[in-house]
Amino acid sequence: MRVVALYKWAPNPQDAQVDPDGIVDWRRAAEALSEYDPVAFELARSFADLTGAEVIGVTAGGSAASSSLARKTVLSRGIDRLVLVADDRLKTADSTTLAAVLAALIRRLGQVDLVLAGVSSVDVNEGQVSMTLAAHLGWIGLGGVRALEATDQGLRVERDVPGGSETLALAGGAVLTTVADAAVPRRAGMRDILAAAKKPVDLVELDDLDVPVAQVVVSRAATSRPDNARRQHVVVEASEPAAAAAQVISALRQRNVL
Amino acid sequence: MSVAIDTWIIVADDAAVGGLIEFGRLRAAKLVAVVAGRKSVADEVAAAGVDRVIWLGQPPEGTPVEAFAPEVARLVGEGLPRVVLGPDTTAGRALLGAVAVRCGGPVFTRVSALDLEGDRVVLTRSLFSGIAECRESVDGGPAILALPSGGQVSATGTPTPVEQVEARPMTIALVVDRRSDEGVAVDLPSAPVVVGVGRGLKTKADLTLIEELATALGAEVGCSRPLAEGVDWMPKDRYIGISGQHISPRLYMAVGISGQLQHMFGVRDAEVIVAVNSDADAPIFSECDYGLVGDLYRIVPALVAALTAVR
Ligand SMILES: Cc1cc2nc3c(=O)[nH]c(=O)nc-3n(C[C@H](O)[C@H](O)[C@H](O)COP(=O)(O)OP(=O)(O)OC[C@H]3O[C@@H](n4cnc5c(N)ncnc54)[C@H](O)[C@@H]3O)c2cc1C
Repeated sequence: MRVVALYKWAPNPQDAQVDPDGIVDWRRAAEALSEYDPVAFELARSFADLTGAEVIGVTAGGSAASSSLARKTVLSRGIDRLVLVADDRLKTADSTTLAAVLAALIRRLGQVDLVLAGVSSVDVNEGQVSMTLAAHLGWIGLGGVRALEATDQGLRVERDVPGGSETLALAGGAVLTTVADAAVPRRAGMRDILAAAKKPVDLVELDDLDVPVAQVVVSRAATSRPDNARRQHVVVEASEPAAAAAQVISALRQRNVL
Repeated sequence: MSVAIDTWIIVADDAAVGGLIEFGRLRAAKLVAVVAGRKSVADEVAAAGVDRVIWLGQPPEGTPVEAFAPEVARLVGEGLPRVVLGPDTTAGRALLGAVAVRCGGPVFTRVSALDLEGDRVVLTRSLFSGIAECRESVDGGPAILALPSGGQVSATGTPTPVEQVEARPMTIALVVDRRSDEGVAVDLPSAPVVVGVGRGLKTKADLTLIEELATALGAEVGCSRPLAEGVDWMPKDRYIGISGQHISPRLYMAVGISGQLQHMFGVRDAEVIVAVNSDADAPIFSECDYGLVGDLYRIVPALVAALTAVR
């Protein structure tokens, strides 16, 4: 069996600078493995350890996705090998285009049984790429996944749904996104990092992939920065908790919010 | 003002799409609902003031709604509306993703406005968990939007007839068991006062401290994501943020929460924000109205005392 674990090498917007015109400067935001991806890695790895499956890390990102730090970070967390596109043209690609590139990469792999992904990426954070990927592959896309198990008939999946949870039997290709607490990701040890350097990496050229051309044309007219100037920003050092608390409560009462 | 446009709403086996209908109504000449899921859902939507309801038929036993994605995409591809709205749940995204592939365009998320400029659809949406906003025009195919579906629908006048179409869901996945959560669902979005608690709390037992504060404030208790999806101290429907609940209380009091932007996105509509945090450099202090720098284990009891003191 072959399991694909999707991931993204991405910066955290918390560390980005935004100018008053809404232009985002990412220079101070270091790229890293997106926060929830290791959860999917862990689920994929433990599934593979029980079933003998291979876990292939797949990403479509900017050139930094191919750095040795990026490769090692991913390959030291339970991934057997990598297949990726690292092209700066993809930095601003929309979810449907990214999903098409990922679908093309997955098709190149031949037989793939399952795709696992984190719930959403730290930078764009839309949670859309993996669900759109399912459509590109003609598979079913299912979110909220908590656990995964091989059975005689196929796969058994536990997932959260609004108001409860359910068990599904899978008999074909599926893209599954995991909940944030589906598994506790392993920490990479020295041995994992050394082993990572020897694992295969297949860097694919974007132009060698068959990616459909977008029909819908999106033109950006303007950007802006949301303004939080309306907040009061009255911050006090509460070394005397009673006095500080009384002061805040009285301010809240004066503003009629209490 | 320009012409209004055809808008299709994708319903994923959940009739609570009041927000989508309201959003669509603002601009739509004609509002068409495509309902994947149970007949009862189609009936409820048909009574909620849409012009047409297309129902994909009774799902075979155990069929997850996501299995209808190819059929939803086919119908939208044939109808070619200018705007497609769907719920921003994972099921909604699975259906919208298929529509996006069929129509060759992206799914837009976190859209705050849809305008018509001449004949063009122009969207205003926020980027990267809310650090920036942009306006974009969409041409050459439908603008596909995933939106908070926003609550119960209300029956308005005579329902439109439900048109059933022939549809074959995928048979890859079958639900074999379903369980309901225990405990009562909370309605954080409409709570007038909310206390939010985060990783600054040391143990689950210390939640009693937060509950005392909530009682003194007449507040509901919410939390940051790690408390609900991580340590599991709080139910999932109580975490606040871009991936959780969006709240708009008169007062939001964040206790032991650092104020990462993913959390703050969910409280940006709060009228007043108060923060309690021991780290003077915590990001929450640049996004609050009143901040108390100090140990929550000393400040929270002091707040309770101040609230319950005879004035
Ligand atoms: C794609 C994505 C989506 C996300 N969506 C959400 C979301 O919807 N909602 C959400 O909440 N998070 C979300 N997150 C997670 C988010 O980035 C933060 O990790 C999370 O909000 C942090 O929670 P916290 O503030 O409770 O914990 P921390 O960041 O660990 O902060 C704890 C705070 O407590 C303070 N503290 C410690 N001890 C004390 C004390 N004794 N007294 C007072 N203060 C104390 C510390 O100074 C610190 O500031 C998301 C992340 C990603 C990547």
